[in-house]
Amino acid sequence: MNKPSTMEPTSHEGASRVRRMSRDALTRLAIQAFGLTSFYLLICVFFALRSEQFLTFSNVVIILSNISVIGIVAIGQAIVIISGGFDLSVSGTVPLGAVIFATLINTEIATPLAMVITLLVGLLVGLCNGLLVTRAGINPLIATLGTLSITGGLALTVTGGLTRGFEYPEAGILAESSIAGLPNHILALFVISLISYLVLNYTVFGRSVYAIGGNREASRLAGLRTDLITTAVYMICATLSSFAGIIVASQLLAGSATLGSNSALTSIAAVVLGGASLSGGKGGIFGTLTGVLVLGTLANGLALLAVPAFYQQIATGVVLLLAVGFGRMRALFGVED
Amino acid sequence: MSPSANVVTPLIETVGIGKSYGQHRVLQNVTFRLHPGEAVAVIGENGAGKSTFVKILAGAIRQDSGELRLGRTPVSFHSPRDALRHGIAFIPQELAYVPQLSVAENILLGRWPQRAGMLTPGMLVRRAQEEVARFGLTIDVVRPMSSLKLADLQLVEIVKALARRAKIILLDEPTASLTEAESGLLIGVLRRLLQEGVGIVYISHHMDEVFRFSDRVDVFRNGELVASERPSETNHNALITHMLGQAEEQFDPLPPQIVTRPPILELTGWSTEGVSSLRDVSLVVRPGEIVGLFGIRGSGTDLIAEGLVGRRADISGRLAVGGCIFGMFKRPIEARRAGIAYVPAERKKDGLILGLSIRNNLSLLVLHMLARSGVIDLTDERELAEALIARFNVRCLSQMQPVQQLSGGNQQKVLLASRLAAEPQLLLLNEPSRGVDVGARLEIHKFLRTIAAQDRAILLITSDIEEAVVVSDRLLIFRDGRIVDELIGARKTQGQALRGATGASIDEQAINDGANFS
Repeated sequence: MNKPSTMEPTSHEGASRVRRMSRDALTRLAIQAFGLTSFYLLICVFFALRSEQFLTFSNVVIILSNISVIGIVAIGQAIVIISGGFDLSVSGTVPLGAVIFATLINTEIATPLAMVITLLVGLLVGLCNGLLVTRAGINPLIATLGTLSITGGLALTVTGGLTRGFEYPEAGILAESSIAGLPNHILALFVISLISYLVLNYTVFGRSVYAIGGNREASRLAGLRTDLITTAVYMICATLSSFAGIIVASQLLAGSATLGSNSALTSIAAVVLGGASLSGGKGGIFGTLTGVLVLGTLANGLALLAVPAFYQQIATGVVLLLAVGFGRMRALFGVED
Repeated sequence: MSPSANVVTPLIETVGIGKSYGQHRVLQNVTFRLHPGEAVAVIGENGAGKSTFVKILAGAIRQDSGELRLGRTPVSFHSPRDALRHGIAFIPQELAYVPQLSVAENILLGRWPQRAGMLTPGMLVRRAQEEVARFGLTIDVVRPMSSLKLADLQLVEIVKALARRAKIILLDEPTASLTEAESGLLIGVLRRLLQEGVGIVYISHHMDEVFRFSDRVDVFRNGELVASERPSETNHNALITHMLGQAEEQFDPLPPQIVTRPPILELTGWSTEGVSSLRDVSLVVRPGEIVGLFGIRGSGTDLIAEGLVGRRADISGRLAVGGCIFGMFKRPIEARRAGIAYVPAERKKDGLILGLSIRNNLSLLVLHMLARSGVIDLTDERELAEALIARFNVRCLSQMQPVQQLSGGNQQKVLLASRLAAEPQLLLLNEPSRGVDVGARLEIHKFLRTIAAQDRAILLITSDIEEAVVVSDRLLIFRDGRIVDELIGARKTQGQALRGATGASIDEQAINDGANFS
C-alpha cells in the first residue's frame, strides 16, 4: 500500500486499512471455501472447458474404471492410516492377488473358488502384517516394507516373471458390465466404499479404529483390544488389495507381477489428499474417494489433452503437495475438515 | 517492586491486546507491564485467557489487536525463536529437549562451540558448567538428559534459556509436577535471576507459591485482566473471588466415619524388586469410601496404580476386587473387566483421544453397551454424552467439539465422566487435579464425594498434599515402598502427612505459613 502523504493523511490511511482488511478476509474466505471437493470441481471445469470428450458418459466410465483398483486399495490403506499404521505391502499384495488368480483360473477351478482362495491369501498376508506390528512390535513402515518385498517376490515366483494370460476369458467376470453399462468392478468399488463408510462411522470396530489411531496408549488403558483391532485392520487392507489384484487381472485377462506395483504410494497419496493424517486418528472414506478421483481425473484429463505420461507424474506430485499445503493453511485458519 | 512504573522503562508491555478464534474471543484489551527484577504471577481459571496471553508474549501466537512493545519499541514476533532472539524465553509445561544428548549439549543446543567447523567437547562442557554454576546448581552436565529427574530437567531448561541471555522468562505452571522440595529449589533459582534484573511472568495454580514468590499477581477472567494486586495487599480469598467472579465455595471435608462393609478392593502383600519398589503393601478400600495414597515421588504410590491397571505384571501379592480373587492383571482390559476405572495422571498421553470429539471420548469405555451387534446407537450415544456433560458441568460449545480444544479443567472433567460412564466398582485416580484451575479442582473434589456417596470405592493417588488431606476419608502415607502411617480424623493434617512421607520432623507452623521447607 502507498505510504500516506502528509497532505492527505486520514482518508488515504483509512482506505488502505480497509483494503488490507478486506483482502485478509477474502483470503480467509477463499481458503475456507477451498476444500478438496471444490478443488476437484475446479479440475473438472478446467478439463471440461479444454476437452469436449471429458464430460461424456463413456469418459466418466473410463475414469471410474481406471480408479476402481486403486480406489479399493486406498480404502484399505485409509483404514490402516486412520488406525495409526501404514501399509506399504499393498504394492506386493495387488500383483500377488493378480497372479494367483490368473494361475488358479488356468487350473480349471470354478471362478468363485479362485476368488475366495486369492482373498484368503490376502487375508494371510494381512495377518502376517498385523502380527509383525503387534506381537513382534516392528514399526509398521519396516514390517510392511518387509512383507512388500516378500509378496512381490512371491508374485514373481508364481509366474516365473512372465505374464500369465487367462485361458478362460469368461473368468474375467468382474470386468464385464451388468447394471447401467457400468463394469462390475465399479459397482464393487461403490459397495465396498459404502460398507467401509458404515463400518467406520457406525460400528464399535470403526470407532475403535479412530480411537487407537488418535491415542493408542489411552485406548489400551481404556480397555480397547488394540492389538486385535490393529491386526484386523491390516487383514482388511490386504484382503481388499488382493481383491484389487483380482480386478486388475480380470481387466487385462492376464496376471503379471508388475500389475499394481505402484499401489502403495498412490493409495497413500490419495488417503492423504483426502484429509487423513499420517499420525492417525483422522480421515475418512469420502475424503479418500475424493482423493482417488482427483488423481484419476487428473491423469485422464491430462491424457485427453495429450500431455505426455511423464508430465502426468509430475503434475500428480504437484497437486498432492498443493492440496496438502492447502490443508495446512486451512488448519492455520482454524477450519475443521 | 515496580513503584515507579512511569519512570522505569518496562522490559515488555502490551497495550490493549486481544485475540479471537472465529467468533470466540479469548483475550481482550489486555494492558500489561513487566519491569526489570519483577516477578508477575498470572492466575485465572482454565479458559480465562492466561495461556493465550503468555503465548503472545512468547511469540507463539500473534494478537489480532493491540500492540506489543519491547522496551518502548513496538515489536511483532514471527515465532518463539524470534522472541528468544529478542531476549524472551518461554518454558512451557511440556519441556522440549533432546533426551539422547548430554545436559551440556542441551544447554548450548544450536550454539555448540566449534573450531574450524569441528566441535570442541571440552569447551562445551566447561561453558555449560559455568552456566549451571551461575545459579548455584549442582547438575552433572555430562550426563544424558534422559537420566535427569523432572525438576532437574526444568532447571536445565531455565539454564538453557538464560545461557542465551534472556531478559524475560515466561513459565507455564513451572511447579505443576514438582514436589514441594523441588519447587523450593526452582524458586530459589528464579529469585537469584530477579536480583540480576530479569523479569519473570509465570502461570500458576498454586496460591501458596503465588504469595511466597511474586511481586504482583495479575488475575485473568473471561479473557480480561480483571485485577492486578500486590500479594502483601491482598489475600487468598480475594484472589479467588477475582478469578471466579464470585465468592469461593469451600469444599467441606466430611466428618470421619467408620465403614465396616466388605471391601471392594483388597491388596495383600504387594511387593516388587527394583529401585523404586513396593515392600509388603496391604490395603483395603470399602464402598462409599475415599482412600488417599500420599507420598513423595518414588514412594511407590505410582506402582500401586500401575499394578491395578495391568501395566505391571511383575508385582507379587494378592488382589481381590468385589470379593473375587484375581491374578495380577497383565493387560488393562482385565482391570476394566474386574470393574476398575482408571483416571491416569497424564490425561493427554494416557487418558483422552484428543482429536476425537467430547461425545466420542465420553462413550469410549461403554461402546459395547451402546451397540447392538456391533452397530453403535448414535441417539443413545448423544443422550449419554448430554447427560454426562450436564452432570459434570463440562463447559463446551457442543459435544462434537474435539477434546483438544477444551481447557485443562474441562478435559479432566471429560476424562472423569468417561470413566464413570462404565459404572465401575472402583474408581482409581492418579493426580486428578494436576494442571487444573482452582474452580475445576473444587468441582472435581465435589464429584468424588458424590461418587463415593453412591457406594463406589475411590482410591486417590496424589502428591498434592492439600488434596490428599481434604478429599480422602482415610489417608495412607507411603515412604520407600511401604505404608508408614494411616491418618484418620484429627490426625489427618498436612503436617502429619508430610512428616510421614518425608520421614523428617517438620514444624507444623512452617507448613501452614507456606514457608519453604526444602
